Amino acid sequence: MALAVEFREVEVTLGEFSVLKSVTAKVPLGRQTIVIGPNGGGKSTLIHCLLGHLPYKGQITFTPPNPKLGYVPQRPDFDRSLPLTAQEFLALSLTQRPIWLGLTPKVKRKIKDVLELVKATPLAAKPLGGLSGGETQRVLLAAALLNDPAILILDEPATGVDVYGERLLCELLDDFKNAFTVIMVSHDLATARAHGDWVICLNRRVVAEGVPETIFQPDILSATFGLHQGLIFGPPPTAQKEP
Amino acid sequence: MSALTPLYDLLTVVYEPLFMRRAAVALFLLSLAVSGAGVLAVSRRMAFFPDTVGHSALAGLALGVLTGLDPQVAVVFFGLGLGLFIVFLSRKAQFSNDVSLALVFSGAVALGIALISRDPRATAGLSRWLMGDVLTVSDSEIVALGVLDVISLVLFLTHYNRLILAAVFPAGLAAKGLGDYLFGAYLAVVSVLAVQAVGVLLATALLVTPAATGRLLAASGRSFFWLALVFSVLAAQLGLFISFQPGINASAGATIVLTGLAFLGLASFSRLFKGRI
Repeated sequence: MALAVEFREVEVTLGEFSVLKSVTAKVPLGRQTIVIGPNGGGKSTLIHCLLGHLPYKGQITFTPPNPKLGYVPQRPDFDRSLPLTAQEFLALSLTQRPIWLGLTPKVKRKIKDVLELVKATPLAAKPLGGLSGGETQRVLLAAALLNDPAILILDEPATGVDVYGERLLCELLDDFKNAFTVIMVSHDLATARAHGDWVICLNRRVVAEGVPETIFQPDILSATFGLHQGLIFGPPPTAQKEP
Repeated sequence: MSALTPLYDLLTVVYEPLFMRRAAVALFLLSLAVSGAGVLAVSRRMAFFPDTVGHSALAGLALGVLTGLDPQVAVVFFGLGLGLFIVFLSRKAQFSNDVSLALVFSGAVALGIALISRDPRATAGLSRWLMGDVLTVSDSEIVALGVLDVISLVLFLTHYNRLILAAVFPAGLAAKGLGDYLFGAYLAVVSVLAVQAVGVLLATALLVTPAATGRLLAASGRSFFWLALVFSVLAAQLGLFISFQPGINASAGATIVLTGLAFLGLASFSRLFKGRI
């Protein structure tokens, strides 16, 4: 199995509190990896280590080294009254030409293409602060895709998203299958089961990792989330090969 | 005869006294810089940055007197250092901008008072820093404001997008680091020069009011920038003009700020009936 990322003995400690304990896990190249676990289990912390936002002990190896990373943050808190259209927001990271000079046709075209990709073309001229949760997530996804990332990292993309937005997200994840490596943090087991090629169960340490069919077993889910989660899921339908 | 004389001659149609023509030029140049700086400060929730850096003039002046440095130079460098320290606090100590500003504000004022209480000579020139006087601006200060406009233009052409991105998602997508310190240093210098022109009590209003007015009316990032610029120039020039009228004869700085606030009031009122631009 070709790997895009390998975590080796990754540890994060905040004061006396150990957030990640000796995390060793792998992310298959070109597949969709879902990191699941309870709240406070260190999922977002692991992502921030991967992005270089947090200091950590241990090793994180990318293959090939220094890939372009696209990141969609979890329900970002921003000043919604700031006058900025969705396409201006996308232009901020796409071009150095200041937005007060207006957007060039080339930049507008590139933004239109990426918005089309995430099914958000009508949002281009809308104010960023006026978008719904699902619309904001799609614009953020467009921002992450703008620089052609080798690895796309999504932190709880379904948080604060309505049913329609969730369905669109599922469609997009299907579109991204085999296009590039996706790492998605989620506590939504249904999404993980439906879209994951590889699942990492994280509760400060790696409880288990593997293809969904081996992971969605009562004992593993109980160990990751607690006993009641294991009771919800029955035995896996059929075993499949590793990606 | 200075290089600015032809410009002053042009303005004789509006103002007879040379000090008024100088003030008009100085305020025009200052408006260009403070409007963009104000947009960034308001977007990044750093509206009290100029106030904090402005109050550091107290300590800067005292340090200048005590160390024998030119007080004006000491104030600029002390303000610059303080601006960088505020950014450092926000980044490393993970305080929010308002907490960092409040801490530095109280520290700078306390240091100023402590130094002044040791040597009363340090109070010389303090009233000009606190109240400001745009009518006494010199040619060399006007040249300094011109240089500030050139620096502003370069910064706005090269870093504007990154600085706004950092304002939208401080902990998310934005590449921070050097850009933050650069912005802190720039805003500190703009603040000190604004304080010099209109005094610490009015500098914050001059920086923030046009940006707040533009923000109220703008529908896009582009119109936000240009509206702030237009309101900044209008408030400064109209305020100066009104202050000089017989029968009014009020403080130029205060009239400028009141004019800016009047525009803000009109903008709020017009938004009730019309949409954004």
